[in-house]
Amino acid sequence: MSASPPDRVRVLEALRDVQDPELHKSIVDLDMVKEVQIRDGTVQVEALLTIGACPLRDSIVASIEERLRSLPGVREVRVSLGVMTPDQRQALITKLRGGEVSAQRRSSFLTAESATRVIVVASGKGGVGKSTVTVNLAAALRREGRRVGIMDADVYGFSIPRMMGLSGQPTLIDQMIIPLEQDGIRVMSIGFLLPDEGEAVVWRGPMLHKTLTTFIGEVHWGDDLEYLLIDLPPGTGDVSITLAQTLPQSHMVIVTTPQVAAVKVAQRAAKMAEKVNMEVIGIVENMSGFRPAPGADPVYIFGRGGGLRLAELLGVPLLGEIPLDPAIREGSDAGVPIVASAPDTPAGRAFRQVAERLAERVPVPTR
Amino acid sequence: MSPKMVTPVEVGSVVEPALRIVWSDGHHSRYGWHALRVHCPCAACKGEWTTRRHVDPASIPSTIRPLRIERVGAYALRPVWSDGHSTGIYPFNYLRGDLCECEECAARRAAPSAP
Repeated sequence: MSASPPDRVRVLEALRDVQDPELHKSIVDLDMVKEVQIRDGTVQVEALLTIGACPLRDSIVASIEERLRSLPGVREVRVSLGVMTPDQRQALITKLRGGEVSAQRRSSFLTAESATRVIVVASGKGGVGKSTVTVNLAAALRREGRRVGIMDADVYGFSIPRMMGLSGQPTLIDQMIIPLEQDGIRVMSIGFLLPDEGEAVVWRGPMLHKTLTTFIGEVHWGDDLEYLLIDLPPGTGDVSITLAQTLPQSHMVIVTTPQVAAVKVAQRAAKMAEKVNMEVIGIVENMSGFRPAPGADPVYIFGRGGGLRLAELLGVPLLGEIPLDPAIREGSDAGVPIVASAPDTPAGRAFRQVAERLAERVPVPTR
Repeated sequence: MSPKMVTPVEVGSVVEPALRIVWSDGHHSRYGWHALRVHCPCAACKGEWTTRRHVDPASIPSTIRPLRIERVGAYALRPVWSDGHSTGIYPFNYLRGDLCECEECAARRAAPSAP
C-alpha cells in the first residue's frame, strides 16, 4: 500500500526546511522555488539560483532531493536549476536587508537596536596576538552554539584568512558580498579580495574607509548573527576611527602582553574607546607564562602582571590570561584555532573561559 | 567599568529656531545655530593643533542653519550646514560640557575651576 503523493502545499512546506547554504535562509522564503509539479509519485522542482556560478549548487540540489524523498508517496524527485533575473536578485537583496524599500538600508547591526553584539578586538602595540585571540574567541563562542562572524579590519596586516584556513573569493550577488564560512563562522577579510596572500595593500586612508564601510554595510552577515568580532589593526588610526564613526553600538576587548612597557601603549586604545563612547569590557593578557613541560613551573618570558595592571588602571575585568604555547601558533598557521583542535589543553581552556566571560559581560538578547 | 558618556535621548529638528537636546541624564540643552557653527571642532575651522579657538564669527552668516544632522557612531553629531560645511564632528561631551548654553552650564564654565 503506497501513500498518496503530497500536494503542492506539502511540498512547499517541506522545502521550507531547505536553506540556502550561503544565505542561511529557507529557499522558499527567498523565493528561490520557481516551479513545483507533481505527477503520480514524481515531484519536479525548479529552483532559481542567485547567480549561475553558485559554488554550492550541488549542495542545494542534494538538500532538496533529500528533503522531498522523505515525504510519503514520493517516488522520484527531479530538480532543475535556473538563475534569477536581475530584478529577482534585487528583490532578494532587499528582502535580506530587512524588507525596506530603500537601497540605503544597511546591515542590521548598523541600527542601535540591533541584536548583534559587536566586539572590537584592539591592542596598543602590534604583535600581541590580536588575530589569534579573535579567531579563538570566535571558535569558543561557536562551540557554545553562538552564531559568530569575524570581520578582519586589519587591512594592511590581514591574517584572519590563514588562521581560519580560508581562501578564495566571496560570492557576490550583485552588490551584496557573502562572507566565507568555516565551521559555521562567517568571515570577511580583504585577503579574500586580493589575488594571493602575498599581495600587499598599499592604500591611504580613504580606501581603507571605503573597504570597511563595505565590509559593514554590504556584506551579508545575516540578521541572525549574535556576535561579530572585529579584528582591528594595532593602534588608534584610520581604521579604528572609521569603525567608531560607523558602528552605533560596539564593545572593546583589549589584548596586551604581560610586559609592563606594553601597558601604557594599550592604555591608548582604551583612551580612544572613551573618546568615541565605546565600552571597554575587559582585558585579555596573551603570551602569559610558558610551561617548558607539563607540571613544570611556568617561565614568564614577557614578564608578569601587565594584563592585571591594565585592567586595574581602566577599572575593567581581566577576562583571562592565555599561556604561551607553541600549539597556539601552530594552530594559527595551520588554519585551525586551538579551541577547535584541542579545546581541553590549558590554552584552549583559557580561551574558552575568556569567551564565557565575554558572553556574560555582553549577553545576546533572548529572541 | 569605563565611564559611560551622557548621550542624547532626543535631538530636535533642524527646522526649529535652535538645536534642542534632551540628554540621558535628563538635562535639557539649547544651542543657537550660529554659535554652534562658530564652534565647529573640525581641523579646518579650529586648526590641527588647537592654536586658534574658533572661526571668526563675522565670517558666518547670521542665517546659518543645518540642512540635516547625522549621528556619528555612538559618540557625536555631525551637522551638514547651509554654507556647505560638513566636516565638524561634535562629540557628545563637547556639546554637553563646552557648548551647552543653559544658565547652569554657563555658570559652571564661568567659575574659576570646577570642584
